[in-house]
Amino acid sequence: MVSMCFYFQVHQPYRIRKYSIFDIGKKKDYFEDRSETELDNEWIINKIKKKCYLPTNAILLELLNKHPEFKITFSFSGVFLEQLEEFAPEVLESFQELVATGRVEILSETYYHSLSFLFDKDEFREQVRLHGKLVKQLFGVEPTVFRNTELIYNNELANEAEAMGYKGIIAEGADHLLGWRSPNFLYRPVGAKKIKTLLKNYKLSDDVAFRFSNRGWKEWPLDSKKYVQWINSINGNGEVVNLFMDYETFGEHQWKDSGIFEFLRYMPGEFLKHPDNDFKTPSEVIDSYEVCGEYDACEFVSWTDLERDLSAWMGNELQDAATKRVYVLGKKVKLTGSGLLVHQWRKLLTSNHFYYMGTKHFGNGNLNPYESPYEAFIAYMNVLQDLEMEVSDILKERGFLVNGEIVNNKINL
Amino acid sequence: MLGWEFPPFFAGGAGIVCYELTKEMVKIDDVDLTYVMPFGPDEVANQHLRILIANKFRGKKINFKKVPSLLGAYMTEESYKENRQRLIDSGKLTMADDNTLNLYGINLIEEVYNFAGRVSTIVDDEEFDVVHAHDWTTFPAAIQASEQMKKPLIVHMHITGFDKSGGNGVDPHIYAIEKEGMEKADKIIAISEKVKRGLVKNYGINPSKIEIVYHAKVDVGPDTNFDFPKFKSKNKVVLYAGRMTMQKGPEYFIDVAKKVVNFYKNVIFIMIGSGDQMNQMIRKTAEMGLQDKFLFHGFYSRDDANKFFSMADVFVMPSVSEPFGLVPFEAISKNTPSIISKQSGVSEILNNVFKVDFWDIDKMANQIVSLLKYNELHNTMKKEGLDELNKLTWDEPARRCVDIYKELTRKR
Repeated sequence: MVSMCFYFQVHQPYRIRKYSIFDIGKKKDYFEDRSETELDNEWIINKIKKKCYLPTNAILLELLNKHPEFKITFSFSGVFLEQLEEFAPEVLESFQELVATGRVEILSETYYHSLSFLFDKDEFREQVRLHGKLVKQLFGVEPTVFRNTELIYNNELANEAEAMGYKGIIAEGADHLLGWRSPNFLYRPVGAKKIKTLLKNYKLSDDVAFRFSNRGWKEWPLDSKKYVQWINSINGNGEVVNLFMDYETFGEHQWKDSGIFEFLRYMPGEFLKHPDNDFKTPSEVIDSYEVCGEYDACEFVSWTDLERDLSAWMGNELQDAATKRVYVLGKKVKLTGSGLLVHQWRKLLTSNHFYYMGTKHFGNGNLNPYESPYEAFIAYMNVLQDLEMEVSDILKERGFLVNGEIVNNKINL
Repeated sequence: MLGWEFPPFFAGGAGIVCYELTKEMVKIDDVDLTYVMPFGPDEVANQHLRILIANKFRGKKINFKKVPSLLGAYMTEESYKENRQRLIDSGKLTMADDNTLNLYGINLIEEVYNFAGRVSTIVDDEEFDVVHAHDWTTFPAAIQASEQMKKPLIVHMHITGFDKSGGNGVDPHIYAIEKEGMEKADKIIAISEKVKRGLVKNYGINPSKIEIVYHAKVDVGPDTNFDFPKFKSKNKVVLYAGRMTMQKGPEYFIDVAKKVVNFYKNVIFIMIGSGDQMNQMIRKTAEMGLQDKFLFHGFYSRDDANKFFSMADVFVMPSVSEPFGLVPFEAISKNTPSIISKQSGVSEILNNVFKVDFWDIDKMANQIVSLLKYNELHNTMKKEGLDELNKLTWDEPARRCVDIYKELTRKR
């Protein structure tokens, strides 16, 4: 028996426009680039809508109608769903249509696709709660399995997720943690009692997400027959194949002319030809299978880069200065009581902003809508300064702030 | 190899490049280089002890054949005359020199052809497989050598007549020589994509004949220990370094300063280098009320440059047109983050700098203020910039040139 568990991450950040020193104290349009280029959020949503969201949703709906056994899972960030409501409600409707089939699961995550678990646990829990609320409101379902931003994971997070009531959590099947063991089973996080960890099979996932159109790859071209053969070969030494990838794999990262849509259209049927095979969502996997061992992540792992660590978002001086400064502001922003300001501040917590400041792969074609990590940093810090000034002004006016220190102790933070 | 300059003689950008390039090329097996250059007044050549470097090369693989001349790549006929007069006035050019020079005439174009005549007599006694010529002043000589000895010709384009005029037309004599050189060449080496585009657009050269070979980092010598001037303790320093001429965009540096001072108070702008626009620039700072914020230095030596680069917090190169532009390498190697115009060839290869259109004063001001204000940004660009620069070594361009030689000699 092999279960295929397909899960797609769907996320778009609110990218910050090239907000300059001249704008500080004058403009509030932090996220409103209108350049029709890679910083224009509305333009990006509409571009990907045509290339990926609408055509892929159509294929998935077709598959759900054709194969009663077919199941899929999404993890939507709150900021993505919010942008759909604002810029492309028809895409939101088509996702709702998929979920309404009852065979599409939604995972829990932080609303703002943030690194908050690393910096502010209260904020983390709050963002997870906000996400749950939005999912319930838009799709009428309550997630039972948790997935953190970019699969950032460690034992502590798994235990926290258990305490928050989740029955499952998703992580990268990292070689250095698995050793000789297979990602195709469930594991128990160290220290946890009930929660189960699903591990991404990164080889089979990346064959589709990264290598599909690579003509230099020895397996190119990949068709559904070949791929299903690889998965069938797991039968007998694994229970579940977790294929986790960005949803934009379909049509955006792998272009239409690479044949990726045909692959998606025919692969499930091919897979179901084998009588032992089925599709499961993460919660069904957890209900169906027992853990086979412990997964011990003392250090953080993620699904990003060969290092599978946090170095894409943290570690250089720019990233560290920016994260430190934005998280410090949290207390004061919340003290203003302004929902709008808190929301603006939280949009700045989205992990992408720190990724864009990364110097690790700069010059080697890494994806960055800014000309350089330095431009990304400038825009970010200038926005942050503007927000800090506004927050300070409000707090001073109300007598909460004297010489930069919070003085009113009656406000319970 | 034919060039018009070699350090320490008329050591502009192209001279430094010839020095660094040949130094690495001779390390490659089967490469035997002879560098032929027109020769300036003895006093100028001898007053620099760095002539030892030349001696060292002479002892190894490079032999110098010196032909007297006053030519420099950046010269137009007018500036040539000026330069000659300056040398005479300063006593560096004696009447004796002048007599030798008379052999070649005062007219620049005439000298170029005189150089060609001289080279023609030299090559009869020389054995070589390819002719490699740097910029237009050596083209007639190189064509002569190539045709006379039936050897392949490579012309190396560091700058063209169009770049020199800042887009305001081109000297027809120079244009004709450049075009002929490139048309007769078996291969053209351009020092940047920008130069290549210009060759295709302005000279109608077939792009498949052009190869781009980028420069690598230049050796600026060790750090000099010196006490920073008093103003440095309270102020940050933004630096301009280069000739004060339209092509280098000095006026944009002053325009951007005007914006920066509104957002960052404790800053001093320093402009080093001399040129035809120097007085105009000094006037401009006064007109804009920036006289207290600006320092001018005029002509600068290598040692001066190192001091200014070490002292500076930001280096700005606002060039209107820069075929390559080596100066950011000097700044970065002295730990100074750089802002460079997108109209420079060097912007094609550097990542850890700010790139900006020379006319985009707002963006440039934003970058300068950010570098002054955010220490983390300054530190990261400093560190990453140096790492990147250290990877740009001359063995790569040297190998590329030798590969071209091999390809051309195989064909024959």
